[in-house]
Amino acid sequence: MAFKGFLKNAYIDTNLNKNVGTFAYLFHRITGIGLVVYLIMHTYVLSSAISGHQDFNKRMGLVQNPFFAFLEILLVAGVFFHMLNGLRISICDFFGWSRAHKVFFWIELVLFVAIMIITVILQLPKMQSGYYPSI
Amino acid sequence: MAERVSNQSLLTWFLQRFSGLFLAFFLFTHIDVHHFLHREGLIDFAVVNQRLGGSFWWKLYYLLFVPFCVFHALNGIWAILADYRPSGGFTVTTKIVFWVIGILLIFIGAMTLINLFAVGV
Repeated sequence: MAFKGFLKNAYIDTNLNKNVGTFAYLFHRITGIGLVVYLIMHTYVLSSAISGHQDFNKRMGLVQNPFFAFLEILLVAGVFFHMLNGLRISICDFFGWSRAHKVFFWIELVLFVAIMIITVILQLPKMQSGYYPSI
Repeated sequence: MAERVSNQSLLTWFLQRFSGLFLAFFLFTHIDVHHFLHREGLIDFAVVNQRLGGSFWWKLYYLLFVPFCVFHALNGIWAILADYRPSGGFTVTTKIVFWVIGILLIFIGAMTLINLFAVGV
């Protein structure tokens, strides 16, 4: 069976080529799998709208608190890493700039860090005193 | 020596890129509007209904967003599995399961959206 040694192969793969491309590839997969899990949870929470707006409000109330505001930061990190890395792959492939892929990775990382700083600043009030104090 | 890929694999590879570029735009606006720019009070049915119910463009946006998202997610997982050269039986079973999950997710998503769009609830 091809899946035997799945983790072992992944470990060997990432250790043979220790450069930013391998790191980006690994994180693209990890965030991708995480986002699929999130997509299913997101659908579960929002699908309560089918059985009426009381159910929707109740279930939405469960996920709007400081703890989930913290988890939201991880979500945004996953989304934007996956998005920026996907754009890097597409740009390098379609424009034939693969030889500069490492340069694009560092550009991606700078943009990612900038987005995450903005995210944390926006999420901090939600994590401290309840959800969305009026500003 | 590179292996020849089937036309179907080439098509799904292209669609993965295409849906990915769409999702980059969709998610950027979606996260800004629903997670960042919403700054007052809890998000409840009335808030979402007011935001989406009145606008044709938001409706079109979300009805496109859901299938793009589901396709990209399931095709992405399939691409990871395909990297490890699964057997024929596993391939067929997984593809059937993914199609069922995909259609179910799109159906639930569309039903959710139609309920959120409803006017005068």
